[in-house]
Amino acid sequence: MQETDLHDLSDDPDYTALQHQDSMSNSSSKSVRMCDSSKSEIVYSKENVAVHPSQYASERISGRLCIIKQGSSFFLTWIPYKAMPNLVDSTGRKSNSNVSDNDRNLYTIRPVPLSDIHSIRRHIPALGWQYIIIVLSSGLAFAPLYFYNGGVREFLATLKQHVFVVRSADDPNVFLLNDFQDPLQKSLSSLELPRVLSVANGTPKQGSPNEVSSIYDSMRIDGITASGTSSAFEYRGRHRRKTHDPTHDLSIHVMEKFSLVTKFAREATTQLFGEFHEIHELLHDRKQKDSSPLDAVVVSQPNDTQSKADNIVATSDSTELDKLSLVWGKPRQPPLNHEEWETFLDSEGRVMNSKALIKRIFYGGLEHELRKEVWKFLLGYYEYESTYAEREYLESVMKLDYETIKSQWKSISEVQAKRFTKFRERKSLIDKDVVRTDRSVPYFEGDDNPNVIVLRDILLTYSFYNFDLGYCQGMSDLLSPILFVMRDEYEAFWSFVALMERLGPNFNRDQSGMHSQLFALSKLVELLDHSLHNYFRQADCLNYFFCFRWILIQFKREFEYEKTMHLWEVLWTHHLSEHFHLYICIAILKSHKKKIMEEQMDFDTLLKFINGLSNQIDLDSVIRDAEALCVCAGGNGAACIPPGTPPSCPVDLDAGLYDQQDDEIL
Amino acid sequence: MATIGNNNINAKLVLLGDMGAGKSSLVLRFVKGQFLEFQESTIGAAFFSQTLALNDATVKFEIWDTAGQERYHSLAPMYYRGAAAAIIVYDITSKDSFEKAKKWVLELQKQGNPSMVTALAGNKADLEDKRKVTLEEARAYADENGLFFMETSAKTAVNVNDIFYEIARRLPRAQPAQNPAGMVLSNTPAEQSKASACCS
Repeated sequence: MQETDLHDLSDDPDYTALQHQDSMSNSSSKSVRMCDSSKSEIVYSKENVAVHPSQYASERISGRLCIIKQGSSFFLTWIPYKAMPNLVDSTGRKSNSNVSDNDRNLYTIRPVPLSDIHSIRRHIPALGWQYIIIVLSSGLAFAPLYFYNGGVREFLATLKQHVFVVRSADDPNVFLLNDFQDPLQKSLSSLELPRVLSVANGTPKQGSPNEVSSIYDSMRIDGITASGTSSAFEYRGRHRRKTHDPTHDLSIHVMEKFSLVTKFAREATTQLFGEFHEIHELLHDRKQKDSSPLDAVVVSQPNDTQSKADNIVATSDSTELDKLSLVWGKPRQPPLNHEEWETFLDSEGRVMNSKALIKRIFYGGLEHELRKEVWKFLLGYYEYESTYAEREYLESVMKLDYETIKSQWKSISEVQAKRFTKFRERKSLIDKDVVRTDRSVPYFEGDDNPNVIVLRDILLTYSFYNFDLGYCQGMSDLLSPILFVMRDEYEAFWSFVALMERLGPNFNRDQSGMHSQLFALSKLVELLDHSLHNYFRQADCLNYFFCFRWILIQFKREFEYEKTMHLWEVLWTHHLSEHFHLYICIAILKSHKKKIMEEQMDFDTLLKFINGLSNQIDLDSVIRDAEALCVCAGGNGAACIPPGTPPSCPVDLDAGLYDQQDDEIL
Repeated sequence: MATIGNNNINAKLVLLGDMGAGKSSLVLRFVKGQFLEFQESTIGAAFFSQTLALNDATVKFEIWDTAGQERYHSLAPMYYRGAAAAIIVYDITSKDSFEKAKKWVLELQKQGNPSMVTALAGNKADLEDKRKVTLEEARAYADENGLFFMETSAKTAVNVNDIFYEIARRLPRAQPAQNPAGMVLSNTPAEQSKASACCS
């Protein structure tokens, strides 16, 4: 029997803290050394490397990617070119007119020590631009960097000269940096909770800004930042130039004020909502020093509530304001019923105004009987322009197609299965999960329930349909409500396929789909609630892994079955944003912000608390809050979300969608 | 049970093992005294805490329950890093799960804290008729690798509290009190006095 050493204190919190101090002082002594050797040189520089904040070409931001050597350390940085206002494109408009300095600052990669980089994933599609995704040790990733002139291989080759790079055993397109593990370890990411802070605000952790700031300054392409290096690290540009300035975060102040006003003027909610966006934009363009958020409130609020609101605003601090829920999202409507649904269809069954339909579903959801038909439109299984006859034909084709795919594994005999490990293992994974998926829901309840078998068959068929992705825990949660609604095997299958077209990357082996969503979430919270963001930062919680379950399975475990279906149809409309689920996350976090901050929850406590919110969340109010947040964030919110972030389509559709090895091989 | 101030310990414990081996069921049996026949899969991770009283100390376990599927393996270091103890769980009716357990042992030996107290739990011990991993085989492996080993059943509660008690007894004791608050389990297993005597 192994007896642990009594003198080993490594699990002692004080001891750990001491060690932490040690490592801190190590790093500071390192910085001293680095300052001494003040020489820094650019060891690699690549022009025309770009970020694509959206699918619009006009919003692409080109820049220069560099590796800088300072003393014995290496740093990576990407700096966008300055906008060229004189450049006029062929249509006569200014090119890049949609890209503000703020956007440039948002995406700028301030010097990151190569030691903080966990891995680099490269995408070299046969057609289109090569790009890389840089994942930090904290688990967060930067937006993809597109190499317009090629050169990803050269970049990696240069990197190899300066840092230990090894190709991932799991994925030939993933290169692990600083990975000194044996092959078993190669699949492990070195996610370290305490190291998270650096990413979301783009600031390297270990004192490096100072060391490399000189070279960084000298390299900066004119005009990216308005006033020197310090503001270079405040990506919100002029709105956040000084973090201690009480008006630094204009948008959130406005939101908090609005929540207050609307508390006194609930009847005016809808009106306020309508006006809000305009005012927000107005404010955004005004210089902060000559506008107070309160002005905006006075402008927009109904006269009779003005004095009350002024009072409260004057006496409350922002934390107190948060007690009040954000209530200006439009009131929820009753679910769409059959009669109303018919009015959306022409005589041949085409949806005449899909935009209006989508909006209607966003605000009210669907009556349950309509779900089977309408979900197929929302998921893209049916096209809005299709007729009854076309859909009927489609169904007959899909039914046959399903049988064909299903027969691929149905025909595997026992003898064959003995020689087909991957099949056996995959089947075993699915078998283990289906028997514990929603068994308290009457549809799946009881011994030998045939619906559990159908669940199993669909998942197994899907794992053949999408063999590269295979089966992954969480999929049974996504399929269950779909099968419950469709009540038919092949229809549930194809609806699930359509959903997985959007959510498949959630299950990528390298977690890239999840990372990009968690990264976007951290950016959005920074935009929409600076004090909460700061709290998470100082609590080392910026990796947002406590929201992992929410995002992976679309809040399936957080709401009752019926509510989950309602939320899903709202999300699937993609009204306001494809990434509305991220705003739902923020709405829930904001509604518990006071508790989280007052109780000073650390990561453990936060995860326990968040998991414990299951079935405690009021869905309607969360949707309304999320709507308000989404409208308020506007274009700035959209810019926080890297292109290709699920459920958006992957950026390169021509390559293999799920380029990853099977799970079962460690 | 009286405790002396300096003997209150906080200990991070992580549960690792193949999916469906019964990690969540073990924790829920230990923390809440519950068992669900169809315990849902763990997505991401779950966190629990539970305090145990020994003769000379209380141990507050901060328990990380992880997702079992290989696909989520890359997240595991986040949870086992800094852990004082680990329970690696396999299912006695599944040879594969025993093999997966060995891989976890290997990983912890390479990655984990060298003073980590590691236990091997052969769960679902109530399913004797479906047994695929023998007691002897598992015990021999545990001995070779310096793990302490028990067969458990979250369903019948056999050895569940015991395994946590045994871990508690093996934890280093030199830590000052951090957070003595928490609930105390009243049902102490029979062999406790014997085992703690041998350690103290």
